[in-house]
Amino acid sequence: MTTAHRGVVSRRGPKPTGSYPHAHAHGSMVWVTAQAGRDPSSGELVEGGMAGQMDRAISNLEAILEECGSSLDRVIRTQIMYTDAADVEAMDQVYARRFSAPLPVRTSWGVKFLAAEPGTELVRVQIDCVAQVG
Amino acid sequence: MSADPTITIKEAPEPRGPYVHARQHGGLVYVTAQIGRDPKSGDFVKGGFEAEFNQAIDNVEAILKAAGSSLERVVKAQIEFVEEKDLDAMNRIYGERFHDPLPARTSFGAAFLWKGAKVQIDCIATLD
Repeated sequence: MTTAHRGVVSRRGPKPTGSYPHAHAHGSMVWVTAQAGRDPSSGELVEGGMAGQMDRAISNLEAILEECGSSLDRVIRTQIMYTDAADVEAMDQVYARRFSAPLPVRTSWGVKFLAAEPGTELVRVQIDCVAQVG
Repeated sequence: MSADPTITIKEAPEPRGPYVHARQHGGLVYVTAQIGRDPKSGDFVKGGFEAEFNQAIDNVEAILKAAGSSLERVVKAQIEFVEEKDLDAMNRIYGERFHDPLPARTSFGAAFLWKGAKVQIDCIATLD
């Protein structure tokens, strides 16, 4: 373990609900923990189904990236997991609005379920990323 | 960032969403998950799982080539597939297409994939 490894927890991201930081930085890269559409202040899922959750999840990513000295346009790769095939268009619409060139590569797939606590509404989507720092 | 780190080519299916085919950073190239779509028509190839998986690997290979890499230089592959019964075919085709030094690999069953795709594969590869 070298001192160059750095776990990052941002006040601007929803408090982690398990044994993980918001991000882990090393060298010129930062790996960001999958984010759901939780409000950073309350920890609750936001309203608005896929569109609302996706927009909030990307805002959480953005806040964490900024804390690490990165930004959405420096994201290299994203992974998106979502629970309903019917949500794909809404997911893409929000994603296209939030990410601009140079776009990252992307892998997305459908999952059986996503962690629902501490909110009551179902988590419909989560997104993680690896990004360049500097 | 100086030069555009992204690559999108005609020899792989046109992106149907807000993403590029590949993006480079730090001596590595990252490739978007590819499905069994024909690069010319954009449609899924016919022939079921095996045809789709071979086409998906063809697409990855074309993207890697354009990026200055190759299947031999893949360090990590990730495969999602929908039907558990396709596991043997997946392993067989993968074994036909990838050779020593083999990449590290993660594969798992997904609940569903984009527009009914049976399988997809992404990778990270070196550029040297």
